[in-house]
Order: sequence, then structure tokens, then C-alpha cells
Amino acid sequence: MASSISSSVLRLLSSPRILPNPSAFSSISAFLLPSRSLVFSSPISFQPLPKSPSLAGPLRAQQQQEEDQEATASIDVSLIPPKLRDIIALFQSVPEPKAKYQQLLHYGARLPPLDPAFKIDAYRVRGCVSQVWVRAFADPDDPAAVRFEADSDSALTKGLAALLVSGLSGSPATVIARVPPDFVQLLGLRQSLTPSRNNGFLNMLKLMQQKALQLYIEDAKAEKNKAIESETKGTGKVEKDPILDQEKAKEISRESLSPSNGSASPSISSVADKKDSSEIYGDGIGGRKKRIVVRLKQALSPVELEVKDVSYLHAGHAGVRGSADGETHFNVRAISKEFEGKSLVKRHRLIYDLLQEELQQGLHALSIDAKTPSEAQ
Amino acid sequence: MAASLCHFPPAVSSSSSLFVGSKSRSLLLAVSPFKHFPSKSSISASLPWTRSYAVSNDAAAFSVASPSDLRESPSLGEITRPDFPILRQVVNGFNLVYFDNAATSQKPSSVIKALSEYYELYNSNVHRGVHYLSAKATDAYEEARNKVANFVNAADRREIIFTRNATEAINLVAYSWGALNLRPGDEIVLTIAEHHSSIVPWQIVAKKTGAVLKYVELTKEVPDLDQFKGLLSKNTKLVVAHHVSNVLANLTPITFSGSVLPIDEIVDWSHKVGAKVLVDACQSVPHMVVDVQKLNVDFLVASSHKMCGPTGAGFLYGKINLLSSMPPFLGGGEMITDVFQDYSTYAEPPSRFEAGTPAIAEAIGLGAAIDYLSSIGMEKIHNYEKKLSEYLYYQLSSVPNIHIYGPAPSDTVHRAALCAFNVDNIHPTDIATFLDEQHGVAVRSGHHCAQPLHRALGVNASARASLYFYNTKEEVDTFIQALKDTIEFFTTAA
Repeated sequence: MASSISSSVLRLLSSPRILPNPSAFSSISAFLLPSRSLVFSSPISFQPLPKSPSLAGPLRAQQQQEEDQEATASIDVSLIPPKLRDIIALFQSVPEPKAKYQQLLHYGARLPPLDPAFKIDAYRVRGCVSQVWVRAFADPDDPAAVRFEADSDSALTKGLAALLVSGLSGSPATVIARVPPDFVQLLGLRQSLTPSRNNGFLNMLKLMQQKALQLYIEDAKAEKNKAIESETKGTGKVEKDPILDQEKAKEISRESLSPSNGSASPSISSVADKKDSSEIYGDGIGGRKKRIVVRLKQALSPVELEVKDVSYLHAGHAGVRGSADGETHFNVRAISKEFEGKSLVKRHRLIYDLLQEELQQGLHALSIDAKTPSEAQ
Repeated sequence: MAASLCHFPPAVSSSSSLFVGSKSRSLLLAVSPFKHFPSKSSISASLPWTRSYAVSNDAAAFSVASPSDLRESPSLGEITRPDFPILRQVVNGFNLVYFDNAATSQKPSSVIKALSEYYELYNSNVHRGVHYLSAKATDAYEEARNKVANFVNAADRREIIFTRNATEAINLVAYSWGALNLRPGDEIVLTIAEHHSSIVPWQIVAKKTGAVLKYVELTKEVPDLDQFKGLLSKNTKLVVAHHVSNVLANLTPITFSGSVLPIDEIVDWSHKVGAKVLVDACQSVPHMVVDVQKLNVDFLVASSHKMCGPTGAGFLYGKINLLSSMPPFLGGGEMITDVFQDYSTYAEPPSRFEAGTPAIAEAIGLGAAIDYLSSIGMEKIHNYEKKLSEYLYYQLSSVPNIHIYGPAPSDTVHRAALCAFNVDNIHPTDIATFLDEQHGVAVRSGHHCAQPLHRALGVNASARASLYFYNTKEEVDTFIQALKDTIEFFTTAA
């Protein structure tokens, strides 16, 4: 038991919790280190449990603690907005579970009541045994920032909602979208992260992320123009080979839970984008499949083309978190003369190149079947 | 079993320091483990709970006491607990108090053993093979069917059909009997307190056949029997009723009183208008004697996992002449006689309704569960739970600002050993969460698969504590204390 504890300590120390494009991050890595101390200061200690009469009990509890340690070790703390980090620190400073619950209730009590006009189905969080409503709107003073309001008839759920509202309000949508749900484990509350129809906390967070992204997309053009000016330095680096960055991102997302927008985009505050793509992205959520079809048709003049959204098959794994509109995994089947004379790798590379912008915008993976007309017979 | 009892040091007064809140453990020493269980007549099931419960440390001295003995005889809960290994655990730092038996029950070692023995010794496909193992498996499987038939006193063993659970059994009746016999305008009468599994299949089949669903509403939180009589007409083809409600806890008393849901009367009235009756006995078969011939029901369903059996098994009881007239539900192997390219001929019941390889181990496990329950005796279980139920109800009623759903127990009104309740201004989910996190008490919160009922009661959700014969009075005390602590937490923290 001791050896596995020490090995997980080693893992904590040695694993580089890096974001996809390290070279662009020198400015941020400086505050990565102090923020990572949050994980070390977690109340979960590396002591063996005291003996207890019940046989199976302590064994399971110890396993649970180890699992918790491993789980919290993989949380990318830099993805958590500062206000939420403060809240986490506050909870960690309260070691006793009962006191934590009191703290949670306290948050809930301070949450301003939601206007009854919003206590309707459109704002309801699905999958709560209690009733929970959440509302997102742009901060009137800072259009890039999202503000939330929420309410619930259950005191504990209201506490969780209040925590999310305080922690996430004021952050931009893209930051909110990338907050890993696992952060709740740092609070030390026994909160399940299993996606299920009854997981109120998870569903609350997801709905907030979804609503934030909706606001973002509505506001997309203005944001993009602003962002492009401030990010012109970064765009050169952004144009890397999407396939390689894809795999790197996959690798990292398997270890840590940074939601991979498949993205080579390094910026925390906004997503860099190209000017001409704004024409293609005008139609917001649901347009990805259409855009893929249009792009591929333009370039390949295929005899046959089939594009299928299979994101539902991947719902729940690391690559999909943070991408609220689901369109992350597609099957592409194309028969085109353009593939003639090209090896399989070259064909895939061709398609990935054509869909480069999508890959930067949240498309995670493609499953490609590329044939020439003669092969297809 | 004996080995686990050796854990407890003999009659040491400090034994209680090892076992938080469980003083009664020392009494277990004198009581032999289940397999040497004396005949039921020698164990007193009654508990003089009005007396204060003092720990007797000279436990070794007593044999099973007669009611007149001043020392307390061990309760059925204390006697049977050692048979359930899962109950001996610490949850969130507290001894587990499992009060969610209406959702599923725990399994005794004998059932767990039966399951592993099946796989270790004679696993083989049933009904098809000729070799030794398959003959043994087939015998055990069919023996389980006999056990179920005897348990509910079915006239004919062929009247028991093994299903995956009670829900599947109801769907079987709906898609087979229902689809064949229901015409546009036919009426199905249900109570508003039915479990979703008794409602949804009928909604689906009614839509297909043009039949209409009619609901019996509540009066004073029990189904309104007078309204029920009024709803019956020549159009009524089926009556669907629970035997015991998983929320309201109302049940048929041993002696008929007329104030709660009396199945035998319901069957009488329904048959007079030519309607069939399907009884959902999920909450009754595990807890009391259920005699399908005496009740004269047409269909009855129950789940194995609520009666100490494994999950994945349940059964449908149907009168043989009814079953013989019903078309198949699922098609496949086992339920056929001959298969040709464009048609097949079907087997007789029960095989007709058991397509494919069944849950063999699970059915055998259910048989083992029935053996276990029968060796205790369903009457004894029912009597013990009656007392436990009253104790739970009255203790809960003492909690301020609480509302318990269903009728209050009395001489004529008996409740099942469960209480669904709400406390003013505290959400039941908060209560259930805190009870679990801070006290290790497992209760359920939500609508308990009875949304129409909760709407009729005017609430979104309720908390529910449901007991079984291995629960004890001490656990009820722990639960009440924990509940009071929980309520205090939420009222002061607000």
C-alpha cells in the first residue's frame, strides 16, 4: 500500500502538466507552479488509516483515498478560473466534512433568489432529483464575460449551484467551457462524477458551459475581431500540422483532463480565428457537418460523400469535455478521383488539411474512409 | 457463519466500544447461526419494546427465552443479521444502516453460495442437453420453479413463468394478453399509486389497441375504494393494482377491515364485471404470505431481488387457462415446438414465454432465497415487520414538522415496514445526502417510480426508509437520531 502511495506522489511531482503548445506558454507556466500547490494542499493526506474493527471497511476507504489522490493528481488546475480556485482553497482549508457542508449551505444561502420568471423548463437542469434552474447572460459591463444566476429547492444543490455561479461568473465562455468537472474533487465533498441522468452537479456544470458557449457564439463575430488583433503574434504558430497536434492533444487529454478542443490554440482567454472562416462559421451550432460537407465537396468533387456525426459514441471521454455542442467526432466516407495516386496516409492528410479550421474549433477526431472510384467497385 | 460470531469477545462489557451503537451484538453469542436454526415455534418473535432495552451482559447464560422471561429474547433482526455479510460494513465512517429495502433487498450467504455453486459445479444450458451437467442444471432450474409455485401456492407449476423482473412480467402480460384482448373503448383501471412499471406498459398497449386508462384517486392518502367500485363497468377489461404500496405502505390486513386495499374483494368485484386482475406483489411477496389461489388473481408479478434473491430474475404467475390462450411475447429458442422457414409452432406455457437461455443461476438463486425465507417462515417475518413498522412510524411521527404518507397504523390498519415522508422546508434529497454522508444511513429520495402518486400528494419528491426482517429496532433508533441531527443541521444552517 505504501509503495503505491509513494508512486502516486512521484507521479505528481514528475508529470509535466502541460498545455498543448508549451512554447507559447512561457508567460503562464510561471503561475502554473504555485497554483499546482492546491493539489498538494488538499486535505487528503498520505497517512495510513488507523485500524478499525470492521474488516472490509478500512480497506475500501483506503482504496477510495488512493483513487481520490490519483484522480485529483490529474486535474489541470490552470484551467480553473481564479475565483473558483479561491473557493476551492476555502473548502480545502476546512478539513471536516460537516463543516464543508455548512460552508456549502452558506454559499447557497447567500445566492440571490432567481426571478420566478426564469423558473421554467427552458432554464431547468435536467437530471436532478431536486429542481434546479440556471441562467446565463452577458455581463453588461464586459460583453466577453458571462454571468450566471441559479436557484434550487434543495439546499445542498443550491450550495453547489452557488459555488458554480460565484466561481464561474465573470469568466469568458471559452474558459468556462474548459473547466474540468473533476475540480469538485478538490473540494473534498463526496461528489460523484459519473455521467448519469441523476448527476445534478455534472449536469449543472454542463448546462452552464453550454449556455455560456451559446452566448459566445451569438457574440462570436465581435469577439473574433477583437481577438484576432491581440493574437496576430500567435496565429503563425497556430497553423501547425493539425494531425500531429491532434495526436499530441489526444495524448495529453488522456492523462489530464484538459478538454481538448483538438486544439493547437494555446490562448486561455479567447480562441484565435482566421478572418475568412467567419463566413463559414456564421451558422453557429449544428453547422459543423454542413461545413465539412461543403468544404470536402469543394475540394474533392467526390462521386460519393457521406459525413456522419458520431460524437454520441464518445460522450464522456476526455476529448469531448468542454465542447458543448457535441460535434466532435465524425465518420467521413468519400469516393473521389482526387485520391488517385495518393497513399492512404496522404489521403487522410488531405482531408485533415481541408478541415483544419474545424479541428481548431472543437472537432476532435475523424474516422476516414477514402477511396478512388475504381477502388470503390 | 460461526466464524464470524467468534469475532465478538464473550460478554465483555467493553465490547460496545468495538461496535459503535450495536450493544445487541453480545446477545448473538448465545444464538446459533442460521443453519442450526431451531424450529420457528421455539423462537419468540414478539418483542416487548415498551420496556426499556437494557443490555444483558451475562448473555452466555440464556437460551432462547419465552415471552415471560425478563431478559429480552433476540429479535428476528438480530438473529438473521449474521447471514447477510454486506450489512457488516462501515460507510463514511459509520456502521451501515440499510433502509432502502423497497428498492432492493440484501442477500444471505446461502443465496450467494447457491449462485457460485451453480457456476462452480453444474453450470450448463437447460432443457436442451442430455449430458450429466445439463440434466443437473435443468433439474435445479425446474426445482426453482416448483419452489416459487409452492411459495405463492399456485395450483400448477406451469403457472410460474420466469422473467427478468416484475417489470418484464407486466410487459409480457401487456404485449401478449393485452394486445390480443383489448379493443378500442376497453378500459383498464389502475390506481394513481401504481409503480411506473404498472403504468407505462399499459399506456403503450392502450395506444396501440385504442383502450383507455382510468385511475383510482386517493382519499386520505389511500386509494379510494368507493371510487374504484364506481369505475368498474362492462367496459373494464383489466384491473391493475398493487398489493402493498411502495410509498403509502397500505396493505391488506390479515383480517379484512375494509379500510385499505383488500385484494380479495377487488378481485371479486372485478370478476363480476368480467375484468381480469393483475396484482403487483413486489412489496408483498417478500414480506408476507401471498396465496394466489386464495386471492384468486388472474396475474401476479414479483421480483427476486426484493426478496433476498439475485437481480435479473422475477416471475409472472398466471392462471393456466389464461396463459394457454396467450400468444408468445418474445420469440426464439426454447419457446417453440417446431420451426419451419415461414412459420413455427409454439410450446405450451411456461416455456412459451421463456425464449432463449434463461437466467439459470439467478432462478436457482431465487429458489435458494425462497428456501431461506421459508425456513424463517413468512408469518414470522410479517409479524416482526408489523411491530417494526409501528415502531418506525411512531418514532418518525415524533419528529417535528414531519409528514408521513399513507395511513396511520391501527388495530385494523396495518402498514408495511416503510415510511415515505417529508420534513417541512427541507428537500428530501438534502436529508438523504446528509443521512448518508454524516451517519451512514441509507434511505432513498425521489419519486420512487411513482410520479403520478407524488403529483397527487402535491410534492415533487419524498424521502423513504424501508425496512426488512434483518433490520432492528436499534437501527430505527439510530435512524431517528440521525434524522433529528440532519434536520437540525439544515434548519440552523439556513
